[in-house]
Amino acid sequence: MWVVVFLFLFGACGGTTEEGGASKEGGGVSGKLVLTGSSTVAPLAGEIGRRFEERHPGVRVDVQTGGSSRGIADVRSGVAGIGMVSRWLKPEESDLEAYTIAMDGVCLIVHRDNPVARLTGEQVIGLYRGKIVDWKEVGGKPGPVTVVNKAEGRATLEVFLGHFGLKSEEIEADIIIGDNQQGIKTVSGNPGAIGYVSIGAADFEARRGAPLRLLPLDGVEATVENVASGRFPMSRPLNLVTVGKVPALAKKFIDFARSKEVHDLVRKQTYVPYEGNGEK
Amino acid sequence: MKRQSKTQNQALSGWWAGTGQGNLVTGARRQSSRWRDRLAAGLCWTVAAVLLATFGWILADLLSEGLGRLSWDFFTKAPMDAGRAGGIGTVLVSTLLILAVCLLVAAPLGIATAAYLSEYTRRKSSVGRWIRGCLDLLASVPSIVFGLFGAVFFCQMLGLGFSILSGGLTLACMVLPILVRSSETGFRMVSDDLRRGAAALGMRQNTTMAFVILPAALPGIAVGLVLGIGRALAETAALIFTSGYVTRMPASLLDSGRSLSIHIYDLAMNVPGGEPTASGTALVLVVLLAAINWGAAAAMDRWRGRWSRS
Repeated sequence: MWVVVFLFLFGACGGTTEEGGASKEGGGVSGKLVLTGSSTVAPLAGEIGRRFEERHPGVRVDVQTGGSSRGIADVRSGVAGIGMVSRWLKPEESDLEAYTIAMDGVCLIVHRDNPVARLTGEQVIGLYRGKIVDWKEVGGKPGPVTVVNKAEGRATLEVFLGHFGLKSEEIEADIIIGDNQQGIKTVSGNPGAIGYVSIGAADFEARRGAPLRLLPLDGVEATVENVASGRFPMSRPLNLVTVGKVPALAKKFIDFARSKEVHDLVRKQTYVPYEGNGEK
Repeated sequence: MKRQSKTQNQALSGWWAGTGQGNLVTGARRQSSRWRDRLAAGLCWTVAAVLLATFGWILADLLSEGLGRLSWDFFTKAPMDAGRAGGIGTVLVSTLLILAVCLLVAAPLGIATAAYLSEYTRRKSSVGRWIRGCLDLLASVPSIVFGLFGAVFFCQMLGLGFSILSGGLTLACMVLPILVRSSETGFRMVSDDLRRGAAALGMRQNTTMAFVILPAALPGIAVGLVLGIGRALAETAALIFTSGYVTRMPASLLDSGRSLSIHIYDLAMNVPGGEPTASGTALVLVVLLAAINWGAAAAMDRWRGRWSRS
C-alpha cells in the first residue's frame, strides 16, 4: 500500500515540476508570482492577485504573510518576487524600489469607557516610556495604564516610533501584540489599555460596536477621510517592493495594483486608495 | 455495598485518627469523615463541571457567532473578500492534503521507531535511551521552531517552496515524537505472555511482530495517531511559513495552501470583520476533530471485536 502512496506522491511532484516553470507564450503573461511580507497588506494583495488571475489566465499569484521585515528579507534572498512593506523604506533599504498601492493611517486607541478625549505628544511619550503609569495623571479616571505595543519587525511599530521620536528599547510595554485585530481586541477587553492600530481597521470595528475610541492626533480627527486628504499626521504607505531588475510579470502586477481598477478592493480592506500618477 | 463503604469509611477515619490521637473511632469522627468525603466528592464534581462549562462556553460562543455562516456554499466555495465572504472549501481541501502528507510520512516512521524501541532494543540500552531523550526534547520544542526549520530545510534547501508538501513534512517532524512515544507505550502494554506464547510455538520474531504484537498494540498506536492529528490540525505557527497563506484550490502537492487554523487565525487577528467566518471555520474544525476522534474509537472497537473472535 505504501508503495502506491509514494508512487502517487512522486507522480504528483513530477507532474508539477514540468508545468511549474514560468513560460512565456503569445502576447499574454504567464507564470507564478510570489509575494511575501506585511500581514496588513497580505489580505489586500490576495484580493488584487485574484482579480489579476481572472484577467490573465495562466498566471498564479501566491500571497504569503509574515510581516514587513520578512517581505524585505525574502525579496532580497529571491524567495519572493515582490515584497509587501507597510511603511516608508529606511535609508539602509535603498537597494529596494517601493511602489505605493494604498495609504493607511495609524492612530492611538483607548477603551470606550476611558474619558480621556485627547493626548498630547509628550503625554503619549510619557505613557509609552512608563513615566506615566496612572490615567489620572493625564486627566482620566484613576487606574493603572496598560501599554499595548507592537512586536518588533511590525511596520506599525516603526511608524509609531518614527512619529513620536521614540526608540524601541525605551518603551515599557505591558502587552506585546502582532496584528491589528489583536490590538483592537486587547484594548476592547481592557478599560485601562492604550494601543495604536490601523485607522481603517479601528474605525471599522468601532462602527460595528467594539467598545473602543480613536484618539485625535495633533488636533486632527482619526478618520479615513483625513488620511485620504493627507491631513492626518501619522500615516504610512502600503508598498510593494522589488530589488534589482523587475521581470515583466511582476511589473505588470505592480502596475495593475496601482491602477484605478483595484480602488474598490483597497476601500473594502479599509485602506485609502493610492491617487498618485501611476508611473514612478 | 452500603456495608462495604461503611467499613471503608471506618478504615479511612481510622487512618486519619491514627495520624492524630490514636485509633479510637468515635461517632463524631465518623460524622466528620463522612462530611469530608462529601466535600471531596463535591470538589471533584465542581472541577468536572467547570471543565464542561468551559467547553460549553467556547462551543456556545462559536455556535452563536459562526452558525449563521454555515451553508452548503461555505463548504464548497473558495474564500472571497479576504475571507469575510465566500466559503472555506479550498481551505478544507488544503488542510486534508497537509494532514494526509503528514500522516503518510509520520505514521510508518513513528510506528517503526516505536517497534524498534520496544521490541528490538533492551529497555535500558544506551541507544534506546538516546532516542527517547531526543524524542522527548523534540516533543517540547515550540512549534514555531519547527516552522522556521521547515521554512529553511524543506522550502529553501530542498526547493519545495511554499507548498502543501513542505507543510505536511514539517508537521510530520512535529508530530513524530508524540506518535513514537504513545505507540511505544502501546507496544509495552502488550502482555509478555503473548510474546512467550509465540516463542513457545516457534514463531519467528518478525512473524510474532506482524501477527501478534502489532494487532495487540493497535489501540495504543491509534491513540498516538489521534493525538498527532489533533496537534496537526490545531497548528498555525509551523504552517504559516511552510504551507503558506494561499486560498486557491491546490492543483498539486507543490502548491501553497492555507490550513483551517491559519484561516481562523488570520480572520480573527488580521481581517477586520472576519469574526463570523473565523467562528464558522472554528466550528468546522471542532466538528472535524470530534469526527476523527469518534471515528478512531469506533474503528478500534470493531477491530478489537474482530481480532478477539478470530
